Amino acid sequence: MFLSLVCSPMEEPLRCPGMHDLLPEEMERFRQVEEVFRLTCREWGYQEVRTPTIEHLFLFTAAGTLSAQMLGRVYSFLDWDGWSGERVVLRPDSTIPVARLYIEHMMGAPLAKLFYVQNVFRFTEGEREEWQCGVELLGDTQPLGDVELVLLGREVLARLGLGALGVRLSHPGLVRAVLERTGLSAGEQLRLYDAILDGEQEALAQLRGRIPDLGPAVDLLLREEGQGANYVRNLRAAFAQALPEVARPLDELEALAETLEALGLVPTVTGAMVRNFEYYTGPVFQLLVGDVVVGGGGRYDALVEVLCGRQVPASGFALYMGRLLPLVTRPPVAAATVWVEPADGAAATVAAAFQAASALRERGLPAQVALARGVSWGGPRLLVGPQGMVAFGAGASAGQQVGSVDEALTVLSGGAEK
Amino acid sequence: MIKIALPAGELRRPISQLLSQVGLDVPGYGEGSRSYRLSLDGRARVRVFRERDIPVQIALGQYHMGICGAAWVEEFLARNPRQEVVKLGSLPLAGPTLFLMAAPSTAQTLADLSRLAEPRIVTEFPHLAEALALALRLPRYRIIPVWGSAEAYPPEDADLALALASHEEEVVKRGLVPLLAVLEGPPVVIAHRQAIKALDMGWVLSALASLGLSSVPGMRLPASLGGLGLRPRPPAREREVLRVALPDGHQKPHVLGALAEAGLSFPGYAEGERRPLGPWDGIEAKVIRPQDMPQMVALGAFDLAFTGRDCFLEHIYRFPSSPVAVALDLGKGAFNMSAVVSVDLPVETMEEAISFWRREGRPLVRIASEFVAIADHYARSRHLWRYRVIPTAGASEGFVPEDADLLIEGTETGRTLAENRLKAIDVLFRSTTCVVVGRHTPTGRRGELLRLLLDSLRPVAVAGSATI
Repeated sequence: MFLSLVCSPMEEPLRCPGMHDLLPEEMERFRQVEEVFRLTCREWGYQEVRTPTIEHLFLFTAAGTLSAQMLGRVYSFLDWDGWSGERVVLRPDSTIPVARLYIEHMMGAPLAKLFYVQNVFRFTEGEREEWQCGVELLGDTQPLGDVELVLLGREVLARLGLGALGVRLSHPGLVRAVLERTGLSAGEQLRLYDAILDGEQEALAQLRGRIPDLGPAVDLLLREEGQGANYVRNLRAAFAQALPEVARPLDELEALAETLEALGLVPTVTGAMVRNFEYYTGPVFQLLVGDVVVGGGGRYDALVEVLCGRQVPASGFALYMGRLLPLVTRPPVAAATVWVEPADGAAATVAAAFQAASALRERGLPAQVALARGVSWGGPRLLVGPQGMVAFGAGASAGQQVGSVDEALTVLSGGAEK
Repeated sequence: MIKIALPAGELRRPISQLLSQVGLDVPGYGEGSRSYRLSLDGRARVRVFRERDIPVQIALGQYHMGICGAAWVEEFLARNPRQEVVKLGSLPLAGPTLFLMAAPSTAQTLADLSRLAEPRIVTEFPHLAEALALALRLPRYRIIPVWGSAEAYPPEDADLALALASHEEEVVKRGLVPLLAVLEGPPVVIAHRQAIKALDMGWVLSALASLGLSSVPGMRLPASLGGLGLRPRPPAREREVLRVALPDGHQKPHVLGALAEAGLSFPGYAEGERRPLGPWDGIEAKVIRPQDMPQMVALGAFDLAFTGRDCFLEHIYRFPSSPVAVALDLGKGAFNMSAVVSVDLPVETMEEAISFWRREGRPLVRIASEFVAIADHYARSRHLWRYRVIPTAGASEGFVPEDADLLIEGTETGRTLAENRLKAIDVLFRSTTCVVVGRHTPTGRRGELLRLLLDSLRPVAVAGSATI
């Protein structure tokens, strides 16, 4: 009776809140995205890495890493080694662990082009485990690096057969310059910024009230979007005098936008975009399929320095598997399998069935032994009995007696889709 | 009938008086009745808990309303922000303030913290300390949770303490500098969110409201110290003096007895000094809670400590790699750590209890214990399947049967069990006063002193019980 609690439908699921099972069909699409991503990255000269699921919490707590809001949503705990009082965390982000990996194993290399497919854990109302396909570029690669990352991300999406691809650019230096003018504490600035990104009109009004000298142009910066380098130049005209701190961010944005335009790609430009990541120092971007943001990233030139004291410019992006999977169509079924069915349960018959399946696979024909009786299957099958073998082509009701696996192969491959 | 949780300790009398003012008389509460179950006018069941247990009880929905210190509410909510605990207001009573404090040699102002390479924060409020460290953006810090006496640790054994004090002068009187008042406020009335929505609680809420409940102040978090990169861990300094931790509380008489038998004297210890003298030159002693000793020895703050086997096992079950070991078992202050159930449960052994709960189809076994890691280890090794450990701050006897199915509890004579209609069905281990040491033996004069101390204590120890 106690065990029936496990097997019967329950009001409360047995899996933990926010955790998601990947079922076979979803897993096929997952692998498709992963394989396209891996192939593309390798063709562009990137190398795959994987970091541990558990990291020291302190990697993420220094200023210039994750925002306080994000840190309030990590899975941190004292592990079995935690007698010293230092906490560990289920990685809430992959960029910081990859930067740590670079520092510990690759420091000094002029350029590290790395990619990964791994999960991150964050305590949210919805999914708490998110898989990401990410790329990190460590070394002095700018401004070419930013361009390459945008193009690499788009190529992955295009190879997945996705259309209506878009790119949105921004620069955290723009918002920081505005918020610093408010005289609010760092925490209050972040709360205000989050409220503005959430579309709260009152927050914007509060901001306007605190910096009246910037006038209504603040709305333009924080709420509007424009197209390409022209819009960047317009922003410069609007803010150059009142807010000279935005000059450098706008220069960096313009350079990136111009290059992308020369490649026939006009990005959308916006003043306010990413949150929760303090480490971004240069241009940031989002990759879109239609209206759906499927990935994002940017430049984080100060992160390696925060972690180890040595300056190494860097940038990266990640594609969000949870957003991509619903957009990707199911890949074509690779191969129909031949079912090899033992005619009875005698040891010799069962052994002969497993041997026949193995021999078929060796000859390039996917084959599996029919383990459960009474399961109805389609496709070709091979009946193995004490008197020999009978092969059935796909859909055939009548079988054909065969004397060897090779003979069976001829009959079966007529029906088996390769 | 609604269920109300009220605090034990110093708050008993003032809260009782306040409740009486608005016609909410709880007979026995203000006088400190030993009974855990009281009644409010026959309309509400009242239970008395340690303050830190009350938010847990409300969050679990086992009690519908409760009153406890603001710091304990915030400590709970800092770790469990999504819990079903609603703050209804503060009572018109004086409350202590939670201060971040430091030794004068460590810091005079908050800004001085940016000089610390790897600050150690000692506290009874680890989750509030965590929130504070994150707000300051300390790049690498350690939180050392303790059961009490946090202010005794700086400067030798911690850089900062986060502890309650009635006012700034009290912090100064303890020889420390108050850097920041993190949270101040009188006791808070809290309730379970769903209970407020569904139960008839209006009569008690309106009575409390007539007292003039004020808004509950939140935690005052400081701004980031900004731009503090990670710094390499400073090399550990080799200490010259041997440091000994002596226990306060119920272990103290047993340790005093053992020391006397061994001919060792720590002048000032019997008189209640926080820092007694050592028996020989080169030995420094400090009095701290026995629960905190294994961790402090593991951290290298002390070379030798006197604590209970219960405290040692609680630590080692939680952190199996911790470099601390039992050197001697002094055999004193013995009691059983037992698995305890209601006398009404028709079982005599743990196996029978597990079968009984399974037959009943119970989805979850609730285990209340002050010893969370011991209870967890026991539940796992006895295959209780799905269970929940409810951490308590002592006085767990009142939890069964309404609020827990099983207690993991220290039992001496069995009289308290009988008084509370409980019975022990298993003994986990026998706990006695032990001497614990670090796994890495110190060298030089310090090592020599450690050997001398252990040699003096060995004749007092139980033979053949050197290590666990």
